[in-house]
Amino acid sequence: MNALLWLLPALPITMGAVLLLVRRAARSAAVTTAVATLGLAVYAAVARPRAGARLLFDSGLAVDGLSAAMVVTVAGVALAVLVFAAGELREARFFGLMLIFVGAMLLTVTATDLVLLLMGWEVMGAMSYALIGYWWHDGERVRSATIAFVTTRAGDLGLYFAAGAAFAGALAATGNGNGAFALAVLSGDPAPWRDLIAAGIVVAALGKSAQVPFSFWLSRAMAGPSPVSALLHSATMVAAGAYLLLRVQPLLAATGWAAAVVAWAGAVTALLLGAVAVAQRDLKQLLAASTCTQIGFMVLGAGVGAVPGGAAQLVAHAAVKSLLFLGAGAWLAALGTKDLTGLHGAARRYPLVGVTFGIGALALAGVPPLSLWLTKDAVLGAVREPVLYGVAFAGALLGAAYAAKALVAVWRPVDAGTRDDTEQPGTRRVGVLERLPLPVLALGAVVLGLPVLAGDGWHLTAGELALSGTLAAAVVLAVAFATRNRWDAVPGEAVRRAVAMPGPRGLLAGWLWLEKAAVALVWRPLTAVAGGAAWFDDRVVDGAVNAVPRLGMAAARLARRPFESGIDGAVRAVAGAAGRLGTLARRPQTGQVHLYFAQAAVALIVLAVVFVLAR
Amino acid sequence: MTENPLDLLPELLILLGAVAGLLTGLFLPRHRQWIAAWICGLALTGATVTTALVMKNPDMMAFAAYAVDSLTNVTRATVAVATLLVIILTTGWARGHRRETEVYTLLLLAALGTVLMAGADDLLVLVAAYLLASIPAYALAGFGKDAPGTEAALKYYLMGAFLGVLMLAGVTLVYGTAGATAYPGLHAPVVGVILLLAGLLFKAGGVPAHFWVPDVTEGASRPVAAFVTTVPKIGALVALFRLSGAVFDEPALIAVLAVATMTLGNLAAFHQDNVRRLLAYSTISQAGYLLVPVAMAGRTGLASTALLYYVAAYAITNLGAFAVVVSLGSDRLGDYAGLARRSPWAAFALVVCLLGLIGTPPTGVFVGKLLVFAAAWDGGYAWLAVVVAVNTVASVFYYLRWIRPVFAGEGDGGSARGWLAPVIAVASVVFGLAGGIVLLVLR
Repeated sequence: MNALLWLLPALPITMGAVLLLVRRAARSAAVTTAVATLGLAVYAAVARPRAGARLLFDSGLAVDGLSAAMVVTVAGVALAVLVFAAGELREARFFGLMLIFVGAMLLTVTATDLVLLLMGWEVMGAMSYALIGYWWHDGERVRSATIAFVTTRAGDLGLYFAAGAAFAGALAATGNGNGAFALAVLSGDPAPWRDLIAAGIVVAALGKSAQVPFSFWLSRAMAGPSPVSALLHSATMVAAGAYLLLRVQPLLAATGWAAAVVAWAGAVTALLLGAVAVAQRDLKQLLAASTCTQIGFMVLGAGVGAVPGGAAQLVAHAAVKSLLFLGAGAWLAALGTKDLTGLHGAARRYPLVGVTFGIGALALAGVPPLSLWLTKDAVLGAVREPVLYGVAFAGALLGAAYAAKALVAVWRPVDAGTRDDTEQPGTRRVGVLERLPLPVLALGAVVLGLPVLAGDGWHLTAGELALSGTLAAAVVLAVAFATRNRWDAVPGEAVRRAVAMPGPRGLLAGWLWLEKAAVALVWRPLTAVAGGAAWFDDRVVDGAVNAVPRLGMAAARLARRPFESGIDGAVRAVAGAAGRLGTLARRPQTGQVHLYFAQAAVALIVLAVVFVLAR
Repeated sequence: MTENPLDLLPELLILLGAVAGLLTGLFLPRHRQWIAAWICGLALTGATVTTALVMKNPDMMAFAAYAVDSLTNVTRATVAVATLLVIILTTGWARGHRRETEVYTLLLLAALGTVLMAGADDLLVLVAAYLLASIPAYALAGFGKDAPGTEAALKYYLMGAFLGVLMLAGVTLVYGTAGATAYPGLHAPVVGVILLLAGLLFKAGGVPAHFWVPDVTEGASRPVAAFVTTVPKIGALVALFRLSGAVFDEPALIAVLAVATMTLGNLAAFHQDNVRRLLAYSTISQAGYLLVPVAMAGRTGLASTALLYYVAAYAITNLGAFAVVVSLGSDRLGDYAGLARRSPWAAFALVVCLLGLIGTPPTGVFVGKLLVFAAAWDGGYAWLAVVVAVNTVASVFYYLRWIRPVFAGEGDGGSARGWLAPVIAVASVVFGLAGGIVLLVLR
């Protein structure tokens, strides 16, 4: 039954394509497909199948421990998100794109070689563009989608580079390229190629996972519908980068330098984006920045060799973050606002959403005994370098701070800061379908850390656990206490001021100005160079091309005078003669029968005489 | 040799259709005479089907005077299909006419005479077939009882009678010298050959017996013009081919006639402003091309293939061009200006058929013309192939004179309706594309 594995990515992709074409009964079809996919994923996780095929190179799908966790997480979160979305959206286009998106992620996490992985990776990127820019009538949202797409795409080039280097490395080592792309053999490639492969993969993964310095695209990705954010920030897209790094951890370790780079990138992202998250006044932006930090721990795990810890963090975070985004999305739809001040009292107005959101926020803060507390420490416990540990630990504490900020904001009583409908007219209701997935995900947010306690091989000490749990709880309480009597007056104005403000506050609220830096340092120079190249092409290359026909025409005009009149005259003479012959040929057609008789008789007699005499 | 009447089943079906149609028409009210058209159409379809069934049978002789071979079979099928198309063309014009049934009956009888000419293997059968093919056609030409139609019928009849008498004289001469009229073993003196040719050239529309063609084509009604320029020619040319192979061997004589016919037809078509006269001269020139394989009869195996393929393709294509003329209902070249804008389908059909008559790939006539070239070359008459090529180039002029204003011009000459012309145009292209398959069947 190994061939059944192909169905796992193929089913959602096919159904998504069919939905895009047919556009009928989208919601029920999408949810049914998601249920079937989850069933397939669970089966695959249990049976651990492996399926091979020869495309251009040997490639195939396989499910091992890491992939098993991934496929179940992806399929489960996708089901939850699609059920939620079925209550909020009804267009077939949305569900078709979402299913293809999920299918591409499933392909990415089960592929055994770079080529197949790259296919899933690319389709996922394209679908993320279509989903972020889902409301394409709004130019600003499309611009956001473009920025997100171009940024991740720029990182993706690294993966192509890695694939090329892998092929070159295998050629250099064995003389033929057979099996060069298999993910398992990459760490065995000879030295210069191995480093190039690692560099390419690291760039691609950091770009997809929105780590420093690519983080800004995740802020832009908020332009899509809330279910898109819930899926894109938890189990797919950003998780793909972390997954890839965890998958090729032996390669990173083999190069020596790549593991350190990855570890530092993760830790620095956790710290910096944690600070960014604390400074946010918009709930979805806060959650987006927190995604970067939490993914940072997974990346850190890949860097320090804590693959099980990183994977556990990925799974637990997927549940927590999809829960939080669905909660934020529910409030956005019901109350029409995602501003933290405007949301004051939201949790009390919608208690089920509030309680589940609260559980998610506490898990995000790392408060014991919830899941992220365990998984994060499973990664941190593997860090041996003190400075790195300090940076990452500070990031973890910032996590407690921003989670507390969000938690306190929504659980405050309704007060003068509460504002409804700042973004869009709210519906004032949270439907059954929207509520349905929240308790399930909340349960996941509570228990998904437990596997960390079960097995051995985890770098965990009781002391560390106790320390981080206590500190996280203390930070949450401190934040709650410090902000109990404060609320900001006019939220929109405050945000504008904060972003415009010079100094650290504006820097953090504006996502470290990474987007501005990217535009100034990469985009502007690139367009300038492109403009120059276009000028060169238009003026110099094209000018030369244009000059040739102009010269040719001039020469032709010169040559025409003496030669053409002769040929032209001959043609005219032939035509004239033919025309005169034509007139002559109609002469016998007099219309008089006796002349016809005479002509026919004469012609026949002449023929007879000629041919009798010629005999 | 057999005496089984079933060997003549296609001919009998056509005859039966004519008789049954006539009898049915006698008892039908005027508005229900279309039933006769259906009977005649069914008879022709039956003839086509029965011909197709015996197409691959070995050659044989029926009643010691009628050859049933591939020449006859292809003629049967071509004539039946062409006459069927003419009947479809005719229905619009004849519908509700007092003598509607008679049109269909006369068409079928003329078609029967044409088939018999092609199959005749005895001079006496040939003469009878000649008369059967001619007399209904005279009646058809004057069917409208209007002044141009009457004049056309009279000219047609007088030319036919004169040249028919010459042909009878030829038969007498040959019988007198050879003592037999059956083709096998017969040898005709040159004068007898020329006298025989007179009648057959009249039916084929070849020089010097071509004078009736433009006058009848212009004077008779349009569907009848389509018929008399297309169908009788098939039987006459096949009969000529049979004679040329069996009774006399005068390639030079036929070649001279071919050159004269194609050249005269092309030159006379040059400045025609009446499209019916233009098509009439065009059919004269096509008869000239068709005489080339006749001249090569017995000299190369390609000759019969070339003749049959060309004549079938030409019949379809020529009827397509006439179908456009019939549906537009105008003979003035000026009325075709801007037709592409008013009636794109008719314009498409016209352009395809005219380009087909030139011999442009991928139409059926192109394949036929290619085979004609090959036959002339293979038979040792390379100069004849060159003359055909030169004439083809010259003919482009007057066909383009018609095509150009269809697209470039502006005018209000009425619009053309009808599905027949586009269908025929597509069929002529399919015929060309399927040329390989058709040739395979012919072999």
